[in-house]
Amino acid sequence: MPVAVPIEHVLALAGLLFLLGLIGVLVRRNVMFLLMSLEVMMNAAGLAFVAAGARWGAPDGQIMFMFILALAAAEVAVALGIVVQLARRFESLDVDNADEMYG
Amino acid sequence: METAIFYIAALVAALATLRVVTHVNASHALIYLVVSLLAVAVIFFLLGAPFAAALEVVVYAGAIVVLFLFVVMMLNLGRTSVDRERGWLRPGMWIGPAVLAAVLLVSFVFVFWGTDAKTSGEMVGPRAVGIALFGPYIIAVELAGFLLLAALVGAWHLGRRYLEERRGADDFPEEEGANAEEAAPEASAEGNA
Amino acid sequence: MSGMDLLWLVPAAPLVGFLILFVLHDYLPKTVAAVVGAGSVGVSALAALLVGIDYYEAGAEPTWQLLWTWMSVAGFDPAIRLYLDGLSLAMTGVITGVGFLIHVYATGYMWNDHEEPEGFARFFAYMNLFVFAMLMLVLGDNLLVLFLGWEGVGLCSYLLIGFYHQDPANGYAARKAFVVTRVGDTFMALGLFLMFRELGTIEIQESLTLANAQWSGGDTTMALIIGLLLLGGAVGKSAQVPLQTWLPDAMAGPTPVSALIHAATMVTAGVYLIARMHDIFLISPEAQLAVAVVGLVTLFIASFTALVQTDIKRVLAFSTMSQIGYMFFALGVGAWSAAIFHLMTHAFFKALLFLSAGSVILALHHEQDIFKMGGLWRKLPIPFASMLIGSICLAALPFTSGFFSKDVIMLTAFEHESHGLVFWGGAAIAAFMTALYTTRMMIVVFFGGQRTEAHDSSRLNMWGPLLVLCALSLLGGWFGFGVVAGVLPDGGLSEFSHFSPVAIITMLMPFLGIFVGWLVFGRRIIDVEALAASKAGNALKRFFFGGWGFDWLYDNAVVRPVMWAARINKGDIVDWIYRITVAVTRGAHHVGSLTQSGRLRWYAANMAFGLALFFLIVLGVIG
Repeated sequence: MPVAVPIEHVLALAGLLFLLGLIGVLVRRNVMFLLMSLEVMMNAAGLAFVAAGARWGAPDGQIMFMFILALAAAEVAVALGIVVQLARRFESLDVDNADEMYG
Repeated sequence: METAIFYIAALVAALATLRVVTHVNASHALIYLVVSLLAVAVIFFLLGAPFAAALEVVVYAGAIVVLFLFVVMMLNLGRTSVDRERGWLRPGMWIGPAVLAAVLLVSFVFVFWGTDAKTSGEMVGPRAVGIALFGPYIIAVELAGFLLLAALVGAWHLGRRYLEERRGADDFPEEEGANAEEAAPEASAEGNA
Repeated sequence: MSGMDLLWLVPAAPLVGFLILFVLHDYLPKTVAAVVGAGSVGVSALAALLVGIDYYEAGAEPTWQLLWTWMSVAGFDPAIRLYLDGLSLAMTGVITGVGFLIHVYATGYMWNDHEEPEGFARFFAYMNLFVFAMLMLVLGDNLLVLFLGWEGVGLCSYLLIGFYHQDPANGYAARKAFVVTRVGDTFMALGLFLMFRELGTIEIQESLTLANAQWSGGDTTMALIIGLLLLGGAVGKSAQVPLQTWLPDAMAGPTPVSALIHAATMVTAGVYLIARMHDIFLISPEAQLAVAVVGLVTLFIASFTALVQTDIKRVLAFSTMSQIGYMFFALGVGAWSAAIFHLMTHAFFKALLFLSAGSVILALHHEQDIFKMGGLWRKLPIPFASMLIGSICLAALPFTSGFFSKDVIMLTAFEHESHGLVFWGGAAIAAFMTALYTTRMMIVVFFGGQRTEAHDSSRLNMWGPLLVLCALSLLGGWFGFGVVAGVLPDGGLSEFSHFSPVAIITMLMPFLGIFVGWLVFGRRIIDVEALAASKAGNALKRFFFGGWGFDWLYDNAVVRPVMWAARINKGDIVDWIYRITVAVTRGAHHVGSLTQSGRLRWYAANMAFGLALFFLIVLGVIG
């Protein structure tokens, strides 16, 4: 029982979720929350793709969502490895500790 | 009726996401993230993408969030971390990013508002997705496979124990047993030298 | 195959030798380095001999050998082409022949070198490179190749004067030689540029033909300017007044270098240049007169200076200057062939003198002060005999090689249309002085009481070349003139009687010099020390000793003002422009690096900010 909703409403929701995630990335110092916010942002991008696919009744939007899913899985695997190392090295999850690579 | 469900799910998703971003307790934030993802799954289903909805639940809410949860538990983020998190989140810090996000949101909406288009309301099932995925998108599937393999190798490397040993085993006395066995040959080699 | 096809081998052999020695100098044993170093020049000399025989059998016609075209740009295509005529053949013979003998001698001289024990192969690499460059200079058929060789020999001269680089004084001498000759080179380059602009070609033969057609009989101003510029180059390279000050200091190099480069070959490049360009000087008699005056003045100054020197190599250096003065003088008075003839005989006997002096110096463990020598003739018979032969050639006693060439020069000078008597008189006085200082040197070094222990350790490879050079010096006069005759235009010397009073006085001048020298330095009828100790005598001696004050003059007129200007100019406004540029760049860099905080969230915020800015611009809200 799919419904026909105005496409701009779905896209507005996707934009809202994306920007909430962005706010999280910019504000949170804890690297765990930072990664969660990133997940939110990627999920929002996936929503936009699915919505676009649904606009034309085509499968391509879902396929792009699946690639985003694969990307998110890969990103989380590597990022959580880094988090573990970060926590062991600095004994803190503050991402600003890892600022040694400045110009 | 179904249209109302869409707007209710959208509201839930937005509120839950807001709590993810603002919460000070990592475990609670993760639960809110699950709620947000489930709400989005509902929206997917309503948009006629049942396969994407299923994946959202299984992979996102299931696998990825559970991975997060493991790490949260492993790092033992207890009451002290909640207090520290409160200290880090001062109200003034929200202003700049919020203004920036508001500007962007207005711009986004301004761009696509008034197109007057609706979603098709058709169901695009797993069969159609699978045919497209292993048809024209096969190269992209292969590349995604490479990406996941690279992530696997990267995660394995980052998780290796020697990265800690380089700093000295004293930092982690609770892992002494495993360290001592590996460190022993090195120590004797140094003694000989 | 005709022997003349081997012409390319003449410069190629030393070049190959140089490359081998230069690339492998750390890995070659001394014996191999010696064989390669001397052998390559030997091959070159042999090739030159075959080429020479063929050249005369084929009727002494000038020939070319094209090696390849250097470049080809818009109708301008200078070729690497070798040109063979009597002049270049004579020069090639001297360079490869005398060069080979000196190389052989150097294998003995440099064998146990204390100052630079690791430098054996390096020494021969530079020497081979020098021979190559000198051959390109004399064989090159266009001005570019000539200039290439010209600068190449200058480089080798610099490298070899500073061969004992541990002593800063030697480095200073090398720099002085390089800078002073550079002054001359600048004149010469300007002259060559002017020739190219006026005549539109860089081929030497073609440009000389064009010069004759264009200027002969008409306006000769351009020929005069070019001639004077070329003379400037020649003066620098050949150590003539006023650019002569570098040559005495160039004696800091090893003695074989002094013999090969600073006596026999490189310093005569100026003579070669003027002889090669003789058409220009024939067109402009003023330029030719300038050549004669330069030669005569140098001849005079150098022979007086040589009289008071105490370092045996400096005596010979000043004598070289004065002999090259003779060559310039000869060119100036129109005795073209005689100049080249004298160049050849001088190469023989001056190489002989330097090499014998080298043997003496080696036997005395690097003692060069003649007043610490003395009484050596019994101890060092071979160096004594060869040096005696070299000296009588230098003094131009009859029937030695020096006599034949110098005699022709002086008699031609006497026949000079406007200044005959002055020229001849000056040259005759200089001939007297030459004999005088030669006698002084021989008496002080080889006679009297012995002052230093001598130990002669020379072997066949050292006295062998001495013997060959002795033979060449004594007999070179009998055949030498034929080699260069007919290439260059000459005055009517053949009509001249060898028994006129002028000729007899000319012949007697050296005897007079030797007699006076014997009286003063041998018999001591005048107390030279007392004379030199007197106030006027001392001042005169110091004036002569310092080379007539040229070093002092240049030091005060050029070096000090330049140093002073450099010192006060250290922090000048031009530098400030660059300093401001540096400061601005640094400041911008610091500002830029402030944005690189290393903070992840800062970077993300910038990305978001940029995105917002982009949207606002696209939507037309701003910008």
